[in-house]
Formats: sequence, structure tokens, C-alpha cells
Amino acid sequence: MRRPGKTTRRTAATASAALALALGATACGTATGPASGGELSGQTVTVAGVWTGSEQKNFKKVLDAFTAKTGAKTVFVPSGDNVSTFVGSKIEGGNAPDVVMAPQVGVLRQFAKEGWLQPLSDEAAKTAGSSLAPVWKDYGSVDGTYYGLYFKAAHKSTVWYAPQAFAQAGVAAEPKSYADLLKAGRTLADSGRPAFAIAGEDGWTLTDWFENIYLSQAGPQKYDQLAQHKLKWTDDSVVKALTTLGELFKDKQLVAGGAQTALGTDFPSSVEQVFGPEPKAGMVYEGDFVGGIAKDQFGKKLGEDAKFFPFPAVDGGSAPVVSGGDAAVVLKDGKNGKAGMKLLEFLAGPDAAEVWAGAGGFLSPNSKVDLAAYGDDTTRDTAKSLVAAGDSVRFDMSDQAPAAFGGTKGAGEWKLLQDFLRDPSDPQGAAAKLEAEAAKAYGN
Amino acid sequence: MADTLTADSGTADSGTAKSSSTAGTRTARRPADPRRLARRRKRRLAILFVLPALLLLGALVVYPVVFSVGRSLFDADGDRFVGVGNYAAIVHDPATLKAIRNSTIWVVVAPLLLTGLGLMLAVLTEKVRWATAFKLVLFLPMAVSFLAAGIVFRLAYEQDPDRGVLNAVAVGVHDTFDDAAAYPTARIREGQGLTGRAGGPYSTEKGVRTGGSVSLGFVGVAPDAVPAGAKAAAAPAPAADGIAGVVYLDFAPGGAGTPGRVDPGEKGLPGMTVEAVRDGRVAATTTAADDGSFRLTGLADGEYSVRLPAANFAAPYQGVNWLGPALVTPAIIGAYLWVWTGFAMVLIGAGLAAIPRDALEAARMDGAGEGQIFRRITVPLLAPVLTVVFVTLVINVMKVFDLVYIIAPGPVQEEANVLATRMWLVSFGGGNDQGLGSALSVVLLLLVVPAMVFNIRRFRRSGA
Amino acid sequence: MSSHSAVERRRPARLLGSSVVQGLLILVALVWITPLAGLFLSSMRSERANASDGWWTALADPSQLSLDNYSALLKDSGIAQAFGNTVLISVPTTVLVVGIAALAGYAFAWLDFPGRDGIFLVVVGLLVVPVQIGLLPVAKLFGAVGLFGTIAGVVLFHVAYGLPFAVFLLRNYFAEIPGEMLEAARMDGGSEWRIFFRLVLPLGRPAIASLAIFQFLWVWNDMLVALLFADSGSQPLTVALQSQMRQFGSNIGVLAPGAFLSLVVPLVVFFAFQRHFVQGVMAGSVK
Repeated sequence: MRRPGKTTRRTAATASAALALALGATACGTATGPASGGELSGQTVTVAGVWTGSEQKNFKKVLDAFTAKTGAKTVFVPSGDNVSTFVGSKIEGGNAPDVVMAPQVGVLRQFAKEGWLQPLSDEAAKTAGSSLAPVWKDYGSVDGTYYGLYFKAAHKSTVWYAPQAFAQAGVAAEPKSYADLLKAGRTLADSGRPAFAIAGEDGWTLTDWFENIYLSQAGPQKYDQLAQHKLKWTDDSVVKALTTLGELFKDKQLVAGGAQTALGTDFPSSVEQVFGPEPKAGMVYEGDFVGGIAKDQFGKKLGEDAKFFPFPAVDGGSAPVVSGGDAAVVLKDGKNGKAGMKLLEFLAGPDAAEVWAGAGGFLSPNSKVDLAAYGDDTTRDTAKSLVAAGDSVRFDMSDQAPAAFGGTKGAGEWKLLQDFLRDPSDPQGAAAKLEAEAAKAYGN
Repeated sequence: MADTLTADSGTADSGTAKSSSTAGTRTARRPADPRRLARRRKRRLAILFVLPALLLLGALVVYPVVFSVGRSLFDADGDRFVGVGNYAAIVHDPATLKAIRNSTIWVVVAPLLLTGLGLMLAVLTEKVRWATAFKLVLFLPMAVSFLAAGIVFRLAYEQDPDRGVLNAVAVGVHDTFDDAAAYPTARIREGQGLTGRAGGPYSTEKGVRTGGSVSLGFVGVAPDAVPAGAKAAAAPAPAADGIAGVVYLDFAPGGAGTPGRVDPGEKGLPGMTVEAVRDGRVAATTTAADDGSFRLTGLADGEYSVRLPAANFAAPYQGVNWLGPALVTPAIIGAYLWVWTGFAMVLIGAGLAAIPRDALEAARMDGAGEGQIFRRITVPLLAPVLTVVFVTLVINVMKVFDLVYIIAPGPVQEEANVLATRMWLVSFGGGNDQGLGSALSVVLLLLVVPAMVFNIRRFRRSGA
Repeated sequence: MSSHSAVERRRPARLLGSSVVQGLLILVALVWITPLAGLFLSSMRSERANASDGWWTALADPSQLSLDNYSALLKDSGIAQAFGNTVLISVPTTVLVVGIAALAGYAFAWLDFPGRDGIFLVVVGLLVVPVQIGLLPVAKLFGAVGLFGTIAGVVLFHVAYGLPFAVFLLRNYFAEIPGEMLEAARMDGGSEWRIFFRLVLPLGRPAIASLAIFQFLWVWNDMLVALLFADSGSQPLTVALQSQMRQFGSNIGVLAPGAFLSLVVPLVVFFAFQRHFVQGVMAGSVK
């Protein structure tokens, strides 16, 4: 999954992951105070993850709760951006952490293929099974073995809008279908405010647009097949989704400033175009983290000055829920795997998630988490929508693809969708180019 | 100064020869054993002196060359021997072909432009008193990292004329000759009696008879884009000898009102130019008042079409899309010129200063024009310096990486790629095809081999 | 006589020509300064100001300018650390390159050992080898010995690719030292070490200064090598800034002051050691 400002992570990670090199980073962890008593007192669990700043701070609160419960000391080790290189070098150096928070499903799969992971204990699997929709188990499993417990999730099917713009244009109801969405967009344009800010300079926002349309229009089965490249990109369903997307891209009323401006707009700027001091558009589509930026950088009050509605259904399909998340995995080579597994069992329960939910900037896929734990209504609504989607949740397709296709600046899917935004007249041709690149990257 | 630094080693070799010969005569007088011992010790010392350099060069420069050549013969993961497959892939991969095309453009254009520009400026500065200050200014960018230069030019090339200085100039120049339209975003309300393509001109679908009136509804104008003086729209009473009407914003706040009708709260669009047209000829022209009303008077009886010319709606000039797919490579070459022109100018300037004054004066006395002198005497005498500058630039241009990597925005990265950036992206940028990456780095090496030979030859010739 | 009158006749035309030339050169100089001025002014304007209008408006309204971006940047430990890393990479590299190359250059010029001239020709050949060819193999090598991602790794790579030019330059310069001087020193019983430190290094000072400045700036300004060999803890300023480039429009408040910060040292070096710098660049151009 991606967060604003961290989009370089994946490229960097894969760049060095392939090299499988030793990394000289020094672990600068901080240990939490030991609690007396408890079943694990005297033991230390080391957890590695990419989190920095407030995310790290909040996750440490979760670890503190674990310490309070079990007596185990915990150490959080920041891995830097290249989590796989980091872990690889630590394993080679005989100093592996017990638990790693894998930031993408690709990382989890890579670790499993390397044989680094311990399967989830029955206890952890059972706790997870009772509170997570089976789809999360699927994304945490490799070749039928359950390794990764999804703890933190992202919701990437939220369309954010400025309520004032909607009121000014007289759009009363939040759109329930893609056709409605375009109609509302045109009404917005009639009022003199272009409909969508599109961050065309960041290719990943375009892949997210496509994925939402495709998931709703073609359905989850085809989505899964396409994600694994068992279905070719030249398939009619892809061409149809591109045509649908092109309907939006080619309409000058809908794309703020036209395609050329969109291609020069990065993700934070697209949020600024809607929620900044000089608004230039009425809506911006991206994940739940848009709300965080609108709130933190532009001082908008969520639920009042900045609202969202779920990405609407396309052509009578069901509304898509595209997601992603951080999964906790236990390493075989850790010194304290047993205590690490206890931590996973703790993370599988609702208590752990509620600690972070209260602190903000967090969504849990866990259905047992008390929605009252979230700090504001808007986050609560995203969490509700994510949990309610149950098994129809699908992970970001480009995250599942080889980085060369789904995660490289100026190449693969990113680049081809940018070309498509520039000139949406030939969906068929775009599909053919996507297929050529995908075939090369997947090697099948 | 360059002469002292790159000085040919004529003196060096004779010097060494001398020292060894004196050493020979000196040692000859001594007994065999200590002499050999001393020589051996000296050799050991010499080897000690060069060893650190040779070890590093061997391990980190020579070995990688050998390794890369070998690695380029295997597939992406290094498991399978593919022979020259990777080299074949270079020719077949469209993205890599683009990089080769761009590298060719770079190598052909940049050194030529730079040498030319450097020569021109060197000649011009020759007789200017503040030449040193000028040279300093132009040489300054050589101290700046390509990263910083990249940021500097990314800023200058920004598309938005309110941010990028180049487009600010372009738009400024353009707008002094061409006034901006009043309602660039306005468009007609579909199906309400007006036709025309986006951007205008728009005309009434049906003819309007004199004495009649029309109301022309538009949408797409933001509330703050309506002129401050605009009043609520009102249709004037029809006039006998003309056509009256109103041009208005057919959109009330909140979306209230019926399309096609002047509703309360809807404003006129003052300043809109309106024409009455018959048989393709403009019979009358007027401008809408503050309430959007207009009167086309003095018309002969008959049926006219009312037209709003495109000039009302012309999109504002946006400047040049410097970093778009078409111009990105020339734009980056421009940034490269900024960095390197000073170098070319200073080096050529040093060459110019070395040209004997007498030759030039003699030619002047013979009545030769300045242009003639320049072509017939200066340039030929400068040829060796120009060659060195040119070759140097070719070598450096071939390896250009940072500027391209930094300036090209994501969407056009591929259009801007050169061999070095392509090699990086292929090897480390996600694809991680180290076979192809190695092949590209070998190609890069092969391309500089002529320069390598040139250097060795020059050195041997001067050393012999 | 005739030539004199010819000059007389040409004078007004020349005067006119020269003022046109001067005007043209002033224009060129302005064009050259403008981008840098733009960077500098942008670096002192708030994020909001940069987003809404151009830096040139600050010329008319200097009240827009403040040092806030800089203080924010320096408080950001990542950037401060990256700046420190840049120093930690470029200073040792310079010292090592000069030291190792001086030893080798002296040996190539004045000491006799088997294969000397052949080896030196190879070094000359290595002058133009692009760093790209070393990236992948050296990354693997460093990975195996634990140098990947460390400052030491970055330094070693830079040293290796700086050596061919440094050896070439110093060997040629040392070779011009009169042989008699060295001979005399040897006769006086000076060891080669003593001669190297007491005679060769002081005599070679001009070349060493140019080399050191050139090498220092080269490494200070490098991005490519560190992009691969450094990790988030050892990355220099260029790499730290580069990682912000993807979202250029939103990051001008970081990028512009960051870039200017990275410029300050080269600019100081440039103005303080103009002559050496120009010489170093000229000599190093074959690289």
C-alpha cells in the first residue's frame, strides 16, 4: 500500500531486494520497559517495520499494550525503506527480528518463497479466522500456508469531495453509480468548478482508478485472474474498463485543467486542488489517506469541509473495495519466535487494533474492532465500509504485480496509463501495450 | 594552466631515462650483491607505492568490466546462458531503442552546440573589458551538482506560467500581442437553441427575424470568474429595426432554476461580443451590457443568425509544454548547455589567446575582413583546441545521467531516457533485469572505447 | 599610414559593434544568472507563495522572503544527517584519492618496476570507463563483504573511479620535477619515503590542490553512486533530495532550500579557489 510521501519506497525496495545485499543499517530500536509478572516476562520480541514518525509512535503504543498484557519486552526496529534487503541482511548476519510488518503483499510472498517465514500458529489463525474476512487470509497465504496476519489496512475506494462545491452546483445526493458520478461531475463543471483533480504525474493514482473500475465492472474473479496475469490485458473486459475510464479522461469538463495539467499534478497537489486555499476542482479520488492530508495540511474538518463517498458501482456491478495492508509475519530465524507468535495472536484480536484506532491514521480489517474506537466519523465510515465489504475486498492489483510492471516510475502500467490519460482515444491499443509490458514483467 | 596540467610527458620520460642511467653507472662500481639487493628493495618499495591504487582499480574497475561482460551473456536472474540474447533484446526493446535514439540526439547535438556557443562567446569576450567577470558567471554552473541544476531547471520549465519563468516569459510575450478572452471556460447549455463546438463560435440554431429577441444561456463560469460589475440578467424589449437579447450565465447557485430560462439569481455576462450574421456576412456587432442585454440595431428586415465569435472563449495561452514528451529531450539538453557552456568558452578562450597576434594583424593589413580572418585563420589555428573540447564533451554527454533522471517527470521518463538512465532503470529501477542491464553498461563502455584509444594515442605520441 | 587610416575609418562601426556585443553578453549573463536566482528566491518563499505565483514577484515584494524553509529543513534530522553524510563521504574520498594517487604517481614517474609503462597505459585507458559498468558488480561485491549501504562503500567506489585521472595527472606533473633534484636528495641518503614527503609532495602542490578541489566537488555533487551504494542512514544530500523529486510541485519548499544548501559549499570553494578550480575542471575534462 502507499502513503503520501512514501511512494519511493517500493522502487527502492525492489531495486536492492533483487541484489540481495547486506545492509549496513544499524538497528536503533528502543525497548519498552519490562513489566513484572506475565507469561512472557523476561523475553524480548523484536519487531521490524517501515514505519516512521507518528505511525511508529502509534505502533509502539500497540507494543506497549502487548507488554502490559504479557510482560514481554518489545523492541521496534525501523527497517528503512528497503524492508526485504534489511531482513535479508539480518538473517544472513544471524540477527533476524522475530516479527516483521510486511508493507506489501509482494514482500510477504517474497519472504515466503525464500523460506523465511513461520506459518501462523493455530491459535493466531483461529483468532484471525473469527474476525477477518477469508479474503485477508488468502492474501496472507502463499501456496496454501497461512503466514501473514493483516493488522493495518488501507481503503482505496473513496472519492473525496468538497461539500461546498457540491452545494454550489446543486448536487444533492452522493453518486451511487459511475454514470451518476460523471453526471455529478458535469453538473459541477456547469457551475464553473471542474470535476476531478487527477494526479497524473503519480502513475499509481491512475492504476488505482483503473482497478476500481475493473473490479466493479468485470467482477472479482476476473480481477484476480488479471492480477496474476492468468488473463491477458487484451481481454475484452480490460478494453471495456479502459473505455469506461477514457470516457472520464477525455472529457475536458471532468478533468481539471485537462489532461496536460493532470499529467503535471502530483498526488499532494491533487488534494490541494480540491481542499487547498485556491480550489480548482470539486473531487479527488484516492485512498482513505486523502482525508489525513486534507486535515493536516489544509486544516479541513473531516465530515464537514471534506467528505467522501464510496467509489460507485460501474455498469450494475457491485461497488468496488480496493485495499491493501501491512501484514505481521514471524521469521523462522528470529531468536524468540514463540513470543513473536504470541504478539501475532495479540494483533489478531480487537484490543490491539483499538489502541491504534484511537490514535488515528489507522484502519483495521478486523470485524470485531469496536467502531467507537475510531477518533472521527469519517474514519469510522471508511472502516465500516472496509469491514462490510467482507470477501469482496481486493488488494491493489499493481501492488501484486512485479514492480517492473506495477510499481516503476516512467515504466509499465504507470507509464501506459499516463499515456492513456494524455490520449484516451484508443483503449484497444492501450490494452495491447499493457499486455506486452505485463508479459515481459510476469515472464509468462 | 591546462597545458601545465595535462602536459605531455616528454620531460617525464627523458627524466626517468636519465635517472635510471645514472643509477646504472653509479651501481656498476659496487659489488654485485648489495647492488642487486638495493635494486630489489627499491622495486619492492615501488610496488608498495603503486599497490593501493592497483588493488582498488583491479577490484572495483577492471574486475567489474570483466564481470559485466560475462553477466551480460546470462538472463535476468543469472541462471541461464543466453549468449548475445541480451544484446539482441536491446535492439528489439522499444523503450531501449528510444534511449538509443535519445543518446544519439544528445551526442550529435549537445557537443556541436556547446562548441559553437563556446567559440562564439570566446570570440565576443576577447575584446570586452569585463571578460573575466563574464567568464566567471558562465563557469559558475560547473560547480553546481547536476541534481541542483536539475531542480533549477525543473523549476524554470514548470508548465504553469505563474510558476515557471520560461512560460511566464512566453505567456507575457504572447499576451502583449493577443488579449486574453473574457470567458475561456464558458460553454453553451446543450439543447437550448445554440450550437457550436467547444471553444466557439456559437450561433443560434434557427434564424432570428428582426424585431425578435433571443436569450443565450451559458454555463461553466465559476462565480468568481464573472466580472464584478455583472448584474442580474434581464432581457431588453425587442426593437423594431433590430434584434435584442441577453447573454447570461444559465446557472444559479445551488443549481436552482430551469435550463434555458433566465431565472432569478442568474447573472448577465457583460462584455460578450455578439454578431448578427446573414449569408456569411456580419451585419451588426455589439457588446453585452452589465445585465447581459444587447441590441443589434440598424438591420435590414429579414432573418439573421446570432453568433458569439470564438474570441470570447479563446482558452488562455498556456505557454510551452517544455517537459512534455515532444520537448523533454531538447529541454534537458538546454539545461546541459547551461552547465557546460562556460567550460567550452574558457577552454576555447585559452586557445584563442595563444593565437599569434601577428598573423591576424598581417591579414588585417592585407585588407581581409573580420569574417574572413575568422574563417581562414582563427578557426584553423583553433582546430586542435576545438577537437579536444568536442571530444571531451562527447565523452561526457555519453554518460549523462543525473540531469535526465532529475528533470524528466515520471510520465515522460521513458521519452527522455538515454542509455545511462535506461541502464539504471533496467538494472535497479524495478525490472531488475541484470542481464540486460549489464549488456547496456557494456554498450556504454564500448561507446567510449574510441575515446579511450584517443587518450592512449595522445599520451603515447607525446610520451615517445 | 594606410593601416592607420583604415583603423580610423573603422572606429565608429567598431564602437557600435562593441556596444552591441556588450549588450548581447550582458543578456547572456542575465540568462545564466536567472535560473539560480529563481532557485534562491524560491527557497526563501513559503510553500503557499510558491504555489500561487512566481518567484519573480519577490523582486517587487521582498517581504515574501524569509528563512523559515531553511530552519524547517535544518530541523529535519534526515536532511541534517544527509548533509553530514555528504561531508563524511567527500572529505575522506578526497584525502584517499590524493594520497593513493600521489604515491602511485611518484612511482610511475620515478621508480622502476616491472611492467611499469604498460600498467600506466592501462591506467590511462581506464580514464574514460563509465561508472555505470561498476554499479552492479561492485554492489554484489560490497554485499558479500558487508560494505553495501555504508559510507565506507560509497567512499571506496568513488576512490577507485577517481584514481585513473588522479594518477594520470600527478604522474605527469611529478615527471616534470628535474631529475637532478631527486638524484641529489638520494645522494644525500634520503630514503624514497623521505623524498616523497619532503620533496615531491611540496613541489607537486599546485597539481595536488587542483586535483583535490576537482575531486572534492565531483564527489560532493555525485548522486548516481550514492543512489545505489548508500542506504537511508548513509545517504548524502543529493540522494535525500532526489527522493523528494517525484512530487516536485508539492516539495519546492524542501527541494529549493535543500538544493541551495548543497550549492553553498561548491560555491564557496568555487570563489575561494577559482584558479585551482578552473584548472582542475579543465584538466579533469578528459574523464
